[in-house]
Amino acid sequence: MSTASQRGLAVITGAAGVLGTRIAERLAADGHDLLLVDLDRAVALTAERIAAASSRRAVACVADLTSAEGAEAVARSAGEEGGNVALLVNNAGITRDGRIGDMQERDFAAVIDVNLTAAMRLTFALERLLADGSVVLNMSSRASLGNFGQANYVASKSGLVGLTRALALRWAPRVRVNAVAPSLIDTPMAHSMPEHVLEKVVSRIPAGRIGMPDDVASIVAFLASPEAGYITGQVLVACGGRSIAA
Amino acid sequence: MSEPLVIRQPQLGEDYERVTQELTGAFSHMRAAVLEERPVVVVLDDRDLLGQGAVADAALATGLLGLVRAFALEGARAGWRVNALTHRGEETDLAQCLEHLADGGLSGQLIRVGTEHLGRVWP
Repeated sequence: MSTASQRGLAVITGAAGVLGTRIAERLAADGHDLLLVDLDRAVALTAERIAAASSRRAVACVADLTSAEGAEAVARSAGEEGGNVALLVNNAGITRDGRIGDMQERDFAAVIDVNLTAAMRLTFALERLLADGSVVLNMSSRASLGNFGQANYVASKSGLVGLTRALALRWAPRVRVNAVAPSLIDTPMAHSMPEHVLEKVVSRIPAGRIGMPDDVASIVAFLASPEAGYITGQVLVACGGRSIAA
Repeated sequence: MSEPLVIRQPQLGEDYERVTQELTGAFSHMRAAVLEERPVVVVLDDRDLLGQGAVADAALATGLLGLVRAFALEGARAGWRVNALTHRGEETDLAQCLEHLADGGLSGQLIRVGTEHLGRVWP
């Protein structure tokens, strides 16, 4: 059963992953109902679990956002939940790392398509459902500033910065649009790198630790809240100081 | 001096479906150039970098800037020279800047021609 603190429907992509799930849990705790989107059917279990634990409504939508049909399926689901989308979190992302000399074009294109183009596709598919005062948050990355072995990921996350800025100007003052740019976060994506490389990267983070999904969820919650009502078109880099370190 | 590869950001307008194709094409051309030891300069419209134009153009412009940074970082030891140049409309001074970026030892730089960048936060 919903409580009086209802803050509207939040649509979260990549919601079956560790980061997406944590963001969803936090937004439910803050009073959002949830539409959880993922290509992975496990997102249904995530929705079920969060709904049971939070007393918020949480439904799942299995969709491939690399197609117009997938984006429209999410829009249909959001409409069935009453429309009036208060928050869209474009969180879905993949990696296909490799040195520039070795990277296959199909791996480059796949990362751009999922991380960047699909975010645009879904955002425009949901445009008609975005409520006055709603918020769009794009999950960029500190890697947008440059990273070794991730030319595709860097380009996609950098592209999200442009998307954020252009949408913020186009939709102001009705909709706020911002981006979060986390650095290394404790997710399976981070642990896909060799352990000794991970340790080396973490040792260079001034905060002295890897970022946690909760760190990102807190920033999403803040930017989604009325307390961030004067912030639009910005990128909040959450990197424990890594982006300024030597 | 090797002939530089100059990539000019195309204008996509609202056609965001072309972003994947354009970025992938730029990646392939840039890679071919640096492997032949040719310098690369990517020319961007500063309105798009700031997000003042169409959404697809902004995504493409900042995506290309990300590519420049990724290439410059990964190719630093090999001596790859990959830079970006941004301007607004006028071609004035562009030729001189292009020559400088292609000839010099710079890499990973974003050179801004004009004064539109003043007072703005840049990607």
